[in-house]
Amino acid sequence: MNACPNFYRVTSLALLLSLCACSSIPPYSPAPIVTPPAHSTAVVEPAAPVTETHPVEPVVAVEPSVPLPTTTPATRNYTLSAATRTLVNQATTQRKNLDFVQAAATLERALRIEPKNPLLWLEYGELRMDENNFAQAESMARKALASASGDARTQASAWRLIADSYKARNQNSEAQQAYGRANSLTDR
Amino acid sequence: MKSRTRNLLKKYWPHVLAVVGICLLAVTIWIVTLDRQIRQQFEGRRWTLPAKVYAQPLELYTGQALSIDELQQALERLGYLRSAQVSRTGNFQRRPNRIDLVSRPFRFADENREQQTLSISFADNHIEKMWDSSAREVPVFRLDPLLIGSIYPTQGEDRIIVSQQETPALLPAALKVVEDRRFDTHIGVDPIGILRAIWVDLRSGSFDQGASTLTQQLVRSYFLNNRQTLSRKLTEAVMAILLEVHFEKKDLMNAYINEINLGQEGGRAIQGFGLASQFYFGKPLAELQLHEIALLVTEVRSPTYYNPRKQPERALARRNLILDLLAEFKIVTAKDAEVAKAKPLGLVNATAAHSTYYPAFLDFVRRTLRRDYQESDLTEAGLVVFSTLDPLVQARAESALVSELDRLDKNSKRKDVELEGAVVVTAPTNGEVLAIVGGRNVSYSGFNRALDARRSIGSLAKPVVYLTALETGRYNAASIINDAPVTLKLATGKDWTPQNYDKKVNGPVPLVRALAQSLNLATVNLSQDVGLEKISTNFLELGLAEKPQAVPAMALGAVTVPPLEVAQVYNSIANGGFRTPLRAVRAVLDSQGKTLKAFPLEVTQVAEPTAVYQLQRMMVEVMRRGTGVSARTQLGDLVVAGKSGTSSDYRDSWFAGFSGNHSIVVWLGYDDNQPTRFSGSSGALPIWTKIMAGINTTSWDQPLPEGIHEAQIEFANGLAVNDSCSRESMTVAVPDDAEIPWRDGCKAAESTLGGRAAQWLHGMIGR
Repeated sequence: MNACPNFYRVTSLALLLSLCACSSIPPYSPAPIVTPPAHSTAVVEPAAPVTETHPVEPVVAVEPSVPLPTTTPATRNYTLSAATRTLVNQATTQRKNLDFVQAAATLERALRIEPKNPLLWLEYGELRMDENNFAQAESMARKALASASGDARTQASAWRLIADSYKARNQNSEAQQAYGRANSLTDR
Repeated sequence: MKSRTRNLLKKYWPHVLAVVGICLLAVTIWIVTLDRQIRQQFEGRRWTLPAKVYAQPLELYTGQALSIDELQQALERLGYLRSAQVSRTGNFQRRPNRIDLVSRPFRFADENREQQTLSISFADNHIEKMWDSSAREVPVFRLDPLLIGSIYPTQGEDRIIVSQQETPALLPAALKVVEDRRFDTHIGVDPIGILRAIWVDLRSGSFDQGASTLTQQLVRSYFLNNRQTLSRKLTEAVMAILLEVHFEKKDLMNAYINEINLGQEGGRAIQGFGLASQFYFGKPLAELQLHEIALLVTEVRSPTYYNPRKQPERALARRNLILDLLAEFKIVTAKDAEVAKAKPLGLVNATAAHSTYYPAFLDFVRRTLRRDYQESDLTEAGLVVFSTLDPLVQARAESALVSELDRLDKNSKRKDVELEGAVVVTAPTNGEVLAIVGGRNVSYSGFNRALDARRSIGSLAKPVVYLTALETGRYNAASIINDAPVTLKLATGKDWTPQNYDKKVNGPVPLVRALAQSLNLATVNLSQDVGLEKISTNFLELGLAEKPQAVPAMALGAVTVPPLEVAQVYNSIANGGFRTPLRAVRAVLDSQGKTLKAFPLEVTQVAEPTAVYQLQRMMVEVMRRGTGVSARTQLGDLVVAGKSGTSSDYRDSWFAGFSGNHSIVVWLGYDDNQPTRFSGSSGALPIWTKIMAGINTTSWDQPLPEGIHEAQIEFANGLAVNDSCSRESMTVAVPDDAEIPWRDGCKAAESTLGGRAAQWLHGMIGR
């Protein structure tokens, strides 16, 4: 990640975000039927255990005169909770021992705890790659991708897994495209 | 004289011989027949190790939203005993904001876990921390799962087989003292007892004096015949002797313990001590205490006469009599007997016990397993089946269906027949089936409506139509469609003129409103534009077993499928367009604990996730301002998405929808397919809502996908507005390239700044 050339971008992004007053847009929850207040200043905490990080702290707090449409998803950085990390570690050991059935069972335990965490779907996809189940590896990666809104790094990992699964099936042009998507996300 | 007799004898000697011979032969044949019968029966049961089926275990983890009361209830459901200190397996102690427990040893598919001492602390109705006896932190821990039944060949699923190791030694000892003191020495019948019984019978002129040995009782139970005729008794006695010839005492005792009837609940017989232990005390036989074992032994004599739930005093008196006997015969000390006598019956309440029997769910498990296993594997091989049933969700689904059907029946015009219903609850992300209710008689293993009632789905079809429309990219939530009269020529040559539910015509309306208010005309017009073939294909992709006929009425629900298939379709929608096959079984283990078959998670993307997101948002609006609005009072702030369905003439009332982690389908109607008086909103929705409100679920909450943004429109006309120009605005999710016409007077305040800022931001993050 070449951060320096992006300094201008990041700074202006920070300004914009602070302009939005709410630097991270919370996951959708419907507004009450009564028209909501024009702008909200509250930063809504994400539901545990997905942690949401704000890449940059607002420098200046300027109230916008006109509410901006909520066009971008929140920037996120998905992590594992203590419970799911324990299970992922356990599954990794099982995977190393080529005990794929048990590794899958362990990852499913983790997914029941955090069904929306894309990192777990990626783990499951990697396991399927190990088993040479490339179609399911791709599906799991796509599921991760669909859950990874706002997390460029996780999205890149998902595209890379999709690319790997294509490559394993000799679908080289699709693989190239997918690698391209992954790289464009990492270059940001 | 003498010589005449001798001559007669001489003359008829061969005849006498022949008669005696024939008699002997007949008796021999009879005995051989009986021998074969009884051995078949005994060996059939003896070597039968039915598959044991477990519910899903409760997973405990740091940060989990689970209150201390909820954990206590869960432990009590599992038969954990609350005590002053935790020393024994299956005990727990409650302290302020903390529970200590000793877990039962359990063999999971992926782990053979020894018993473990665990402490769990709570803060703000969450699990704060968990640690073991050596103060090591435990981030995640599974409780042992509830045993929900066995797959038994002939008798249905109502038996829990226990081995000799799982039987407390006290039980056979008590049975001998109370029922058959000479069991260890007699030959199957007890001659002394018989003579006494015959004497009493002869004097009273009836044959009701019992002197049956345990072996005779076992024989009687095998043939389910309680007629006490003399010939019956003779047969029984011979069979008992034959059993003793072939088998050892300890095997006979084990068979008895697993066989004998100890209660009745409706049409369900409580056979064997393993099941009776669950039925009366809600815990495994191995964990029973003296007073509890004495009560089960009480029931041997007559489960009806000594029914502890209906005749508690009578049962208690006999239980204490038995405790005295046990002390008298030095099976227990007099002191222990006195302590036990002072204890109450200690029954678990009937509904809790009742809820451990789920015939409709077990039916689905059985059908799943039949694909891979012979019937004999299931009933004889001692398999262990880990199912996906969530006992709490199942209990809520059952009680909601039963109570609401009772209420609705009071408003029904038909008095001759009861309304029926079915429920399927699934977990969207992994397709696990958490609960199945197959009818209002929840403990009856008959017609399973959830799996077998093929009914017309009505407006439950609409989300599939709207999803197909969104996927074309030509439509979004604010797109205008015409709710105008339409007449279509059918393949049969007839004209088809659908109507709206309220027979009104609404003119141009946005998609979001047409779905929320379930407008038929708008939907038919939309489906004609989108293409029936595409919609039909989507039905198949989302999870129907067969592609529905692409006829115009398909868009309004002329699709006839059982609730389980609807559940599959809605699960795919709830799961963001990823289909994952519904499954009731996670893994099957052999009797040694080796995994024979796992049913791993599979996902297939079958719809564009951004289109599904838009649809989900529209289905949230169904609950907020459409046909699902009446759920709000009960659900409060919980965000849910759903759709009602009513088939023609109110024959079927449906509601299907989902929260963040549960998808629920409810159907109700009459078995004879006659009209009910209920729409999806007035019939199925209250049941759906009651289940949703009664389970521990989370709000529907998906992050806005990239490429989609929120826009404000007016619900009535779909025109773009902002807060300063409209008091009727609502938020919809539309693709970034969507162009929504502004309402007059709104454009001036249009935030072109916002639009430009958005584009700029997109540029910033490299899209």
